[in-house]
Amino acid sequence: MSGAASYLARRAAQKERVRILYRRALKDTLNWAVHRHLFYPDADALRERFDANKNVEDIETIDRMIADGEAQHNKWRHPDPYIVPWAPGGSKFTRNPTPPSGIEIVYDYGREDH
Amino acid sequence: MASALRAAILGHVRVPVVSSGSKLLTPLWIRSMSSHDDHLEKSQVIDRVLDIVKSFPKVDPSKVTSEVHFQKDLGLDSLDNVEIIMAIEEEFKLEIPDKEADKIDSCALAIEYVYNHPMAS
Repeated sequence: MSGAASYLARRAAQKERVRILYRRALKDTLNWAVHRHLFYPDADALRERFDANKNVEDIETIDRMIADGEAQHNKWRHPDPYIVPWAPGGSKFTRNPTPPSGIEIVYDYGREDH
Repeated sequence: MASALRAAILGHVRVPVVSSGSKLLTPLWIRSMSSHDDHLEKSQVIDRVLDIVKSFPKVDPSKVTSEVHFQKDLGLDSLDNVEIIMAIEEEFKLEIPDKEADKIDSCALAIEYVYNHPMAS
């Protein structure tokens, strides 16, 4: 029955959205609470908030909750998140690209001023 | 005066150009003085990943092997999965894109991903 398949597909997509939202929220929690002793209680509180809605079955409600969660996350995003240096947005990204092959440097050894 | 003499001498002395035809056996993409020279051994990767999974509070350490599936074998939640992957990211100083992080479901996949990642350290 295509109804069941599309329902399952929708639920799977929702679960993925929830996982990605949890991941981003956890990273933001770490960005805001830099010290681990502050991060752990905050992360637990976040997990409680996600777990409280774990057993909701109605698909429209779930959609609305996910949209709410994403809006809240957008509001609380950190302005200067920690990004690993070599990743896009980090400080070392494309800092030293490999030079193109076939380029040589010709050393003149003092003959430049002739 | 001295500089004119120096210039005259330099004009006569030619430094021979040595074309090093012998390309050493290192391939082009190995930059020998690059600051990133961390190549992890597979055993190291396995040890560290398993340590992370074992120290997760909801996991029974005796059940953790390198072929374990987080949700099926260890009985974890999908959110627990997300937490484990974040811990792995922090351990190996990686940044895993969201879509790929979603797909890492088991120890074996995690070890493969970290081992094949060029910037894992």
